[in-house]
Amino acid sequence: MKESLLDILCCPLDKGELELEVIRENDDEILEGRLVCVECGEEYPIEDGIPNLLPPDMRDEAAA
Amino acid sequence: MKGQEWYQENDVAEAYEDKRFSGGGRFIDRREKEAVLDALGPVEDRRILEVACGTGRFTVLLAGRGADIVGMDISEAMLEQGRRKARSAGVTESLSFMQGDAGRLPFPDDHFDSVFAMRFFHLAPDPEGFIREMRRVAKEQVFFDTFDRYSTRSLYNWALPMGSRLYSGREARQLVVDADLELANVKHDFVLPYGFYRAIPGWVARPFRAADAALGGTSIGDRLASVSYWDTRVREGPLADPR
Repeated sequence: MKESLLDILCCPLDKGELELEVIRENDDEILEGRLVCVECGEEYPIEDGIPNLLPPDMRDEAAA
Repeated sequence: MKGQEWYQENDVAEAYEDKRFSGGGRFIDRREKEAVLDALGPVEDRRILEVACGTGRFTVLLAGRGADIVGMDISEAMLEQGRRKARSAGVTESLSFMQGDAGRLPFPDDHFDSVFAMRFFHLAPDPEGFIREMRRVAKEQVFFDTFDRYSTRSLYNWALPMGSRLYSGREARQLVVDADLELANVKHDFVLPYGFYRAIPGWVARPFRAADAALGGTSIGDRLASVSYWDTRVREGPLADPR
């Protein structure tokens, strides 16, 4: 994901702001990392360049 | 199986477009893209969200026309196809893909000029909740299609593996009104259902599609259509209380 996407994303649960933690990136985008809600502390992973903003209850379901 | 599970499978995601939009299915792809472009108008520099963007057929098309667009889907497998398509089309600059839940969109209120969803509501377990969320993050426009209950689609709809919900015109209008949206325009098409076009090669489909479109231009065609495109506007003023 591009860093600019952070400007419009918010936590799907409480619409709190998200903080970005980068694990791996290239010139264009963040490939691996985390988005952390400053309100509730929920973490949303970024994998293969795609941020996963599914609420935690659905994330498990989708992975199954 | 529900759509949200069906489309998680990698082989389903990889075969998705080929299965639906090759051969006679090309006419479906063309008509759907026309519906989206017609409804959204010029998209350059417009902020657009596509809910349930799947493999990014429309997301990539609109990014190519200058839209500032986000494509969201529940399925990572489908999004991966979208990312590939965006890269080969060279439109990664103004386009973002992300995984998310249509019932809890990770965006602030009124952020997008237009929010749209194609082939989504027939898979939606909670259409009322989903359209309210689309309305919440939209400033001007919400656009979507439905598969119609009293149509040729009902002949085979029950047998589809992903589960598919059909809407009467009345149910769709109720969705719009309950979400505090105003219907600006509705178009109906496909007296012959998608399943018919998918089953035949393009050269066979062409004359059928021409006849279908001609019939679709009449009021009888409207009544028999299997697909409807709903173009709605956000009403001014605060949201009514959810019921």
